[in-house]
Amino acid sequence: MRAAIADTMRSEWTKFRSVPSNIPILLATVTVMVGAGALTAGRASGTYRAAGAAFDATYISMYGGFLFAQISVGALGALAVTSEYATGTIRTSLTVVPRRGRLLAAKIWTFGLITLVMGEVAAFGSFLLGQTLIGAAGAPSATLGQPGVLRAVVGMGMIWSLVGLIGVALGCLLRNTMAATTAVTVVNFIIPIIGPRLMPAAVGDWVTVYWPISAGLQVTTTVHHADRLAPWTGFGLMTAFTAGLLVAAFAVFRSRDA
Amino acid sequence: MIRIDGLTKRFGDRTAVDGLTFTVESGRVTGFLGPNGAGKSTTMRMILGLDRPDAGSVTVNGHDYVGMARPMHEVGALLDARALHPRRTARDHLLCIARSNGIPGGRVDEVLELVGLESVARKRAGDFSLGMSQRLGIAVALLGDPKVLLFDEPVNGLDPEGIKWIRELMRGLAGENRTVLVSSHLMSEMAQTADHLVIIGRGRLIADIGISEFVRQGSNVLVRADDPDRLVPLLAEAGGSVRQGTDGSFIVIGLEARQVGKAALAAGIVLTELTPQRSLEQAYMDLTRDSVEFQASAA
Repeated sequence: MRAAIADTMRSEWTKFRSVPSNIPILLATVTVMVGAGALTAGRASGTYRAAGAAFDATYISMYGGFLFAQISVGALGALAVTSEYATGTIRTSLTVVPRRGRLLAAKIWTFGLITLVMGEVAAFGSFLLGQTLIGAAGAPSATLGQPGVLRAVVGMGMIWSLVGLIGVALGCLLRNTMAATTAVTVVNFIIPIIGPRLMPAAVGDWVTVYWPISAGLQVTTTVHHADRLAPWTGFGLMTAFTAGLLVAAFAVFRSRDA
Repeated sequence: MIRIDGLTKRFGDRTAVDGLTFTVESGRVTGFLGPNGAGKSTTMRMILGLDRPDAGSVTVNGHDYVGMARPMHEVGALLDARALHPRRTARDHLLCIARSNGIPGGRVDEVLELVGLESVARKRAGDFSLGMSQRLGIAVALLGDPKVLLFDEPVNGLDPEGIKWIRELMRGLAGENRTVLVSSHLMSEMAQTADHLVIIGRGRLIADIGISEFVRQGSNVLVRADDPDRLVPLLAEAGGSVRQGTDGSFIVIGLEARQVGKAALAAGIVLTELTPQRSLEQAYMDLTRDSVEFQASAA
């Protein structure tokens, strides 16, 4: 049984790496995250003057790039499932791995690990480059040894993984590439980033605090705001939301004819 | 061996497979025949656990397919040759599938050679012709060296050389005492490949019969006689059914030439022609048409 899930994960990894665009897109996403993060960090002196004690050098070096990166991470997660439905290979996959729970579990573990590793690379890359630029811009930069900084940087990589898995779950629930990538963008970008500007203040405030990705990103901050969730509380909320979507995906995937 | 017992599948209010019971034995090629929409693919999908039966059961070598940890070593299947990611190479396509059952990369190269695709192993599968895709699909089925093989319409898109190749492949697999189930809607194809036939129509079993028996039963006799008006009722009495032919001839189904001759002799009627016609295609069409008519009038 243990060997069988390992085999299925190797199969899923082979599926991922053998579609020619996947790895280049992933590497480009890391580059975009580091690059866009660097642009934000380069303007840090202005941000520092405006923010004062609330200035969060760690968060600033990563968040600007993450906004862009998360769109392709979520889409890759959705595609890992929907491309199998689009090409019809899902039937072959289910024929060779008839235990459906195992197939989906292998997809989740494999894609979760890929995005975790690449997320950590992107997080550390944008943090390290960002701190150099922040220091050069004359603002106080952070080091990994300061309180909460390592947690924030490692946490950013973990957020990548959760965003990817939300994509996998929505791909499994919706089965259609267009629908699933749209849903991922709505859930992780439109509602939390653009939504609060358009919504009534009370709703907007609620979204800013409790919407899964907004809550989860608290783990990437080192300066705590009294009106936001604590880092691990927020991360826990986003993890629970992701887990809920995955449970729904398992239920649907098991019961449906392929 | 595949054992199918009372298998039923409904899609909405349409019953695609309706209480189907038959057994596919090892060591021979079993042709799975029926008109389009008869329920062949749905049955194959239920054997592989892709569709859940509403009633009845399927076992493969005594086991429930869905419970198998590494099913490719037991069962190989070709369902839809076009089900591949167009931007993956042929070798990677096979490797993705092989990995899931712990099959090493060396076996992938072996099956590529076996199906004659070694020269295009690193080409994108999306650029393959339908015939090449069929070969790739057959390679998938062979990866685990399974004892049971299912092929859904495998000759679609193959050129004559490819058809000959797959025919010999299937005969060879059955010769190694494997279980081979091949679906087709063409009797002419099955006549040259199968040892045994399972014929279905509208999801129901019409015939489960050896090919030689089917040839014998399916024979028609073309008859010309001096006094057909007197002969026809006699033939009907003897168990034959009679259809009007061209030029005053008629065709007797269900009787052998010898039986027609005897009936004519007993009544003192002169036969001017007595020609056995062994058209499997016609026999198959008669069989499935009757089933469809029966179903339609029963509904």
